[in-house]
Amino acid sequence: MSPLDRTWWHKQWRHLRLWRRFFAQAVVRETHFRAHFLTTLLVGLVQLGLGIVPTLLLFGFTSEVGGWSRAEVIALVGVFQIVTGLMATFVAPNLNRMTTYLTEGELDGVLLRPVSSQFYLTLRWINVAELTNVASGIAVLVIGLVQADLAPGVGQIVQAVVLVSSGLVLLTAVWSAMSFLAFWLQSVNPIGFVFLSLMEAGRYPLVFFPVAVRTFLTFAFPVAFATTFPVRALAGDLGWETVAVGVGFAVVAMLLVRLLWRRGLLTYSSASS
Amino acid sequence: MNTLVRNLRVVRRMTAADIAQQSVYRGAWIIFMLANICMPIISLLIWRTALASGAQLPVDERYITTYFVLLGVVTMATSSWMAGFLAQDIRMGKLSSWMIRPASLLTGFVANNLSEKFLKLFALVPMIGIVWWIFRDSMNIPAGPGRWALFAISILLGAMLVFIIDILIASLAFWMDDVSALVQARVIIASVLSGAVVPLALMPEWSRGFVDHQPFRYTVSFPVEIVAGELTGRELLAGLGFQLGYVVVFAAIARLVWSAGIRAYSAVGA
Repeated sequence: MSPLDRTWWHKQWRHLRLWRRFFAQAVVRETHFRAHFLTTLLVGLVQLGLGIVPTLLLFGFTSEVGGWSRAEVIALVGVFQIVTGLMATFVAPNLNRMTTYLTEGELDGVLLRPVSSQFYLTLRWINVAELTNVASGIAVLVIGLVQADLAPGVGQIVQAVVLVSSGLVLLTAVWSAMSFLAFWLQSVNPIGFVFLSLMEAGRYPLVFFPVAVRTFLTFAFPVAFATTFPVRALAGDLGWETVAVGVGFAVVAMLLVRLLWRRGLLTYSSASS
Repeated sequence: MNTLVRNLRVVRRMTAADIAQQSVYRGAWIIFMLANICMPIISLLIWRTALASGAQLPVDERYITTYFVLLGVVTMATSSWMAGFLAQDIRMGKLSSWMIRPASLLTGFVANNLSEKFLKLFALVPMIGIVWWIFRDSMNIPAGPGRWALFAISILLGAMLVFIIDILIASLAFWMDDVSALVQARVIIASVLSGAVVPLALMPEWSRGFVDHQPFRYTVSFPVEIVAGELTGRELLAGLGFQLGYVVVFAAIARLVWSAGIRAYSAVGA
C-alpha cells in the first residue's frame, strides 16, 4: 500500500474523487466546443434511426421472431443505445488511445503518477457529448416498453440495472484485454473497429442467433448481459440467478484484466529508450 | 492522351511503393478485415433466423446467404476513405506543392486506394472463403464465367463511382472550412441506400422506384445482385448502363467543381 493511502478503501475513495475531477473537467471542456456537442447529438440521432431500420423492415415481414415482438426488440435497441452511449462516453476515448500510449511512450508519464495506471488509462478521458445518446436510448426504451405493454416493477428494474452495469464491466474488460494486446503487437488501432462491429450483435435478441453464436455472445463476447438479459429482466421472465451470474462474471473478468495488465506492463520497455 | 499515360505511369509507380510501405502493417489489415465481415455475418444470421421462423420475405434463403457472404468483399472493393484527407490537403495548402508537379494530387489518392485494397484482399479472401464454405449449401453460384466477369466489371465501376463522389465532396473544401460533417453524412446515407445494411430487395414496396434508381445502389448492391439475384439479361444491361451513366455524370460534375475550385484556390501559407 502506498503511503498516500492508509487503507485499501482510502485508495478506492481517492480514485473515485479523482474520477469526479476528470468528469468535471470534461464538462467544462465540452462547453468550449458547443459545435462538437451538436454534431455528436445529430449523428447519434441519425445513427439511432438507421440502426432501427433493419428491425423495422424485419418485423414488416413477420410479427414475431423467437418469441420476441417488434416492441420488445425496439426496447432492446433502446438498451443497446444506452450501453453503446455509456461506452462511448467513458471508455472509448481512452481505449482508442492505447496504441499512442504505448508507441509514443506516453505511458511513462502515467506510470510516474501516484495513481493506478490501469485506472488512469481506462477512465481518464470522458466524452460528455455522447451522453446525449444515453438520453435518446432511454427514450427509445420507454417507447418500446409502452408499446409492448410492459410495466416492470422495482425488482425488475433493479435486475435490469445490475445486469446492464455488469454487462458494461464485462464489455470494458473485453475491450481492455483486446487493447492490451498492444503490449505484444505494437499497433492495435483497428482493434476498436472489431470490438464495435461485434457489439452490433447486441442490437438483436440472443435467440436471433444460432446456438453456437449464442454461446459466444454470452461467454466470450458477453454482449448478451448488456442488452438481451436486461430486457428480459424488464419483461419479468428472468430469475435472480442470471443476475448473480452476471455480477460474478464481471468480478472475474475484472480480475483477469488486472492480471493481463500486470503481465503486459512487465513487457513494456518504453518507446524512446 | 499524353497526360493520361503519364498519370497512369505515376499511379502505377506510387501504388507499388505504397504496397511495399503498407505491407508493414499486415497484422492491422487482418484485424481491419475481421471487423469488416462482422456486420454482414450478423445480418446474415438475423435474416436467416427470420426466414426460419416463418417470415415472408420477397427473396429466398439462397439470395440472402449469397448476398451477405459477398457483401464484405464488395463493400471493401468499392470503398473510399479519402474525402477527409483530400479536404485537409486542400485546406492546409498541401495542394500547392502538387500544382507545380507533373501529376495531379489525386494520383496519390488513387495509388493509396489501390494499394490498400490490394493488401486488404489478401486478408479478406480467406475469411470470405471460410464463411462461404460454412454456408456452401445455400449459396447461389452462377454457372459460367460470364456473370463473374460482369461482377468484376461492376465492382470496378462501383469503386470509381464512390471515389468520384468522394472527390466531389472533398472539393467543397475549396469553399468550406469543414467538410467532415458532409463526409460523415455521405457514409451514413450510403450505408443504407447502397444496400450495405439491408439488401435493397427487402426495402418496402413504396420506396422501390427511388431505391432501385438512386446512385448508391450502383456502389454496392448492384454488383452483389449480379451474382446473388436472378437479374434478367435486360435488367443486367440496364443496370450496367445506369452504373456507367452515373460514373460519367458524376465524373463530369466532379471535374467541373474541381477545376472551379482550383481557380478559386488561394494557397494557405504561401
